[in-house]
Amino acid sequence: MPFNSYPYFVFLAVAVFGFRLLEKDAPTGRRVFLLLASYAFYAWWRADFLLLLCGSTLVNYALGCEIERRRMQHADRRALLIGGLVFNLGLIATFKYDTLFVSTANDLLGLGLPVPHFFLPLAISFFTFEQISYLVDADAGRTHNYGLLDYALFVAYFPHLIAGPIVRHNDLIPQFRQIRAKNDDLAAGITLFSIGLAKKSLIADNLAPFADAIFNAASRGTHLGPTDSWLGTLFFAFQIYFDFSAYSDMALGSSLMLGIRLPVNFHSPYKSASIIEFWRRWHISLSAFLRDYLYVPLGGNRKGRARRYLNLFITMLLGGLWHGANWTFMLWGGLHGLYLSINHAFRHATKGMNLAPAWRLPLHAASVALTFAATTFAWIVFRAPDLTSARNVMGGLIGGGHSAVVSFSPLAAVTLLLLFAMVWLMPNSMELMGRTRASLPSPYPDQPVMPAKRLAWRPTPVHAAVYGLLCIVAVLALSNLKPFIYFQF
Amino acid sequence: MENTRYAVWFLTTVALAIAGLAGFNALAGAYILHHPAGGSAQTLSGFERALKPVWLEQIEPELVFVGSSRVRDGFDPTLIDPHLKTRSFNYGASSITPYETRRFVQDALAHRSVKQIVVALDAFTGNGGAGEALPSFDETRLAVTPAGDPTPRRNLWLFTTRYLSGGALGMNALAAWSLAQLKEGQAAADRPDIFPAYAHMTEAVMQKDLNYRRARVMRMGDGAAQELSTMLSAACGAHARLTLFLPPDNMAIIDRYRQSDAAGLEAFKRTARASVTQHNAKCPNKVALFDFMAPNALTRETLQNGSSRDYVDLVHFRPPAGLWLLGQMGLDAR
Repeated sequence: MPFNSYPYFVFLAVAVFGFRLLEKDAPTGRRVFLLLASYAFYAWWRADFLLLLCGSTLVNYALGCEIERRRMQHADRRALLIGGLVFNLGLIATFKYDTLFVSTANDLLGLGLPVPHFFLPLAISFFTFEQISYLVDADAGRTHNYGLLDYALFVAYFPHLIAGPIVRHNDLIPQFRQIRAKNDDLAAGITLFSIGLAKKSLIADNLAPFADAIFNAASRGTHLGPTDSWLGTLFFAFQIYFDFSAYSDMALGSSLMLGIRLPVNFHSPYKSASIIEFWRRWHISLSAFLRDYLYVPLGGNRKGRARRYLNLFITMLLGGLWHGANWTFMLWGGLHGLYLSINHAFRHATKGMNLAPAWRLPLHAASVALTFAATTFAWIVFRAPDLTSARNVMGGLIGGGHSAVVSFSPLAAVTLLLLFAMVWLMPNSMELMGRTRASLPSPYPDQPVMPAKRLAWRPTPVHAAVYGLLCIVAVLALSNLKPFIYFQF
Repeated sequence: MENTRYAVWFLTTVALAIAGLAGFNALAGAYILHHPAGGSAQTLSGFERALKPVWLEQIEPELVFVGSSRVRDGFDPTLIDPHLKTRSFNYGASSITPYETRRFVQDALAHRSVKQIVVALDAFTGNGGAGEALPSFDETRLAVTPAGDPTPRRNLWLFTTRYLSGGALGMNALAAWSLAQLKEGQAAADRPDIFPAYAHMTEAVMQKDLNYRRARVMRMGDGAAQELSTMLSAACGAHARLTLFLPPDNMAIIDRYRQSDAAGLEAFKRTARASVTQHNAKCPNKVALFDFMAPNALTRETLQNGSSRDYVDLVHFRPPAGLWLLGQMGLDAR
């Protein structure tokens, strides 16, 4: 059930109402209710895959409990952990990467194997990663003998189920046991949800047709001219920014209405002055997951600089592949791995250098612009359906072709200026809602969410009218059902 | 307490606005449907992709026209229905893509009331790829999926489109306002200022159009050819008949197509003919093809006293000409 659809609005209203009714008198009942609501939410899309979700939950829960039990008894649990990882990665490999692996093997080795085409179960990348983190934490002694109900709810909890944030068991399960759904949270939740809805239906969905038209033309072999390439690239950079930011706001807002806080997932990434900072602001829950469960186990920065860069590269490569079964995603991840390595090497080389105060602001602005340019360039391979199309768009940036899919009008110029102003100069939704602590804190202490000094949300009649109006306008724009970009992962 | 009041104010404001929206859409929808000239609203350009699938469901027509703005402007059910003693529906949409055309035809074919579908083939020109649609197009409103299966939860999506969407609000407001401008006994043809499908091309419009479309070509890309083939496959065993036609663009502009890309125009026609021949050889439900994109009584028309009888501009023919075309296709003898 997409967040940006009327059925979801009705579902959410029923879920919030039911949860709050049960809250004080039936603490177990409200969790059962929330679990059933989450399963209904998932089954709306395809009921048969609910079995997969439930099966995966049960297997992981059983493994986690056994790992935890053996840890208490100081018994060997390595086989169980490895078995769990194989089970989860096997599941995701079967449903998500089988086609890619077999077709690539056929191409490279001429095997002629039949290419399987499994239907990709919604959210499989998210609920699999979350359960991997649970197993690893159980092995490390970071779990607390959870009940099946709490565990199942942690996996299936509908605000984060489809496209994140990627939550940890210890983020959510303690909150399930607290009674906290207050009217403060409801007010903040509906506001945050409305901000997200407006970003999606008023901004992201209106940029999509232009980016789509240009990338579609590139995939048909049209040699893109500079105008098309630049506009297509920039429009997509802003489309995915607002689309993912909208999704994160709506997920956090939905959860906040129930009094449960999700981790902050999006924190003005285009304000980043480096790629390192970018990954502490963009899809924060994924980057923290990759850091804790891939980069650090690979050795992190503990085995010398060269190994650190290699670890970064591998982590980002696999992080890219997590997004989808396409080599373009892997290349996107590889590009970011390279960017991060360069960024770390640069930091090392310039360590101890002092900058005159007069230079700080212009250099910061230049760093922000350079980071934006690098990430936007990488979005080309992320968005392009294949490497040929990506090359086509990149070629167009330096004047490769003469296409005119779109024209550079004054409206396009004004739109771009407004978009830059929004992402660079305005406080983000987390900052606007900062006083309400709408999310769990960032896992990166150097990137805290500070409450906005201007435009901060307050529960006043004026703000009720402004955000109510924003919500109505966003609802009016909901003529068509357009899924979120991250729903496909 | 402050937060409670905020939540109440917020939710009340939104609920009232949504109730107002649903109420307006319901009233306007009923007004358009029951207005004597209500069918003429289908020739208006606005948010047609949002509301036309809903109208198709409500009207249950026997005859459906699918195509670009040429079709949208050229076939007025209010004019056609009394002549043909039928119930027709104009499923034309501005800048329709080949994929959208195929999907609208699939939608019409899925309706039991529909016995005849007329499709203008200019919708299958251009280099658009297979599967591409404009942003306001939405699969969930159509009766069947691209694979031909019933669309899941379609009634829900139709309901939300009809009563709760901004697209419906825009189209209903435009159509209801336009119809309300007609005085007792007036038809859309009497108010070309409001119903532009009934406007007459002037010398100025013609020159502007010649300039605007100076580099226009009529070429069918691979994606479009693929969509045409898919559309014909969908009609193979269907109960409704399919009639295709190459639209009667004025000769002044057809000459431009020839100057710009004569080979492309010929290839387009050849592909269309070959597709139909291939279809008819294997399918029980035969398809008819008419080529009006050639010299004929309509396309040779020149301005009389600075005004055209049959054209709005060089490619958009007026509804009376649409009626004439139906006669040429033998559809007036139903």
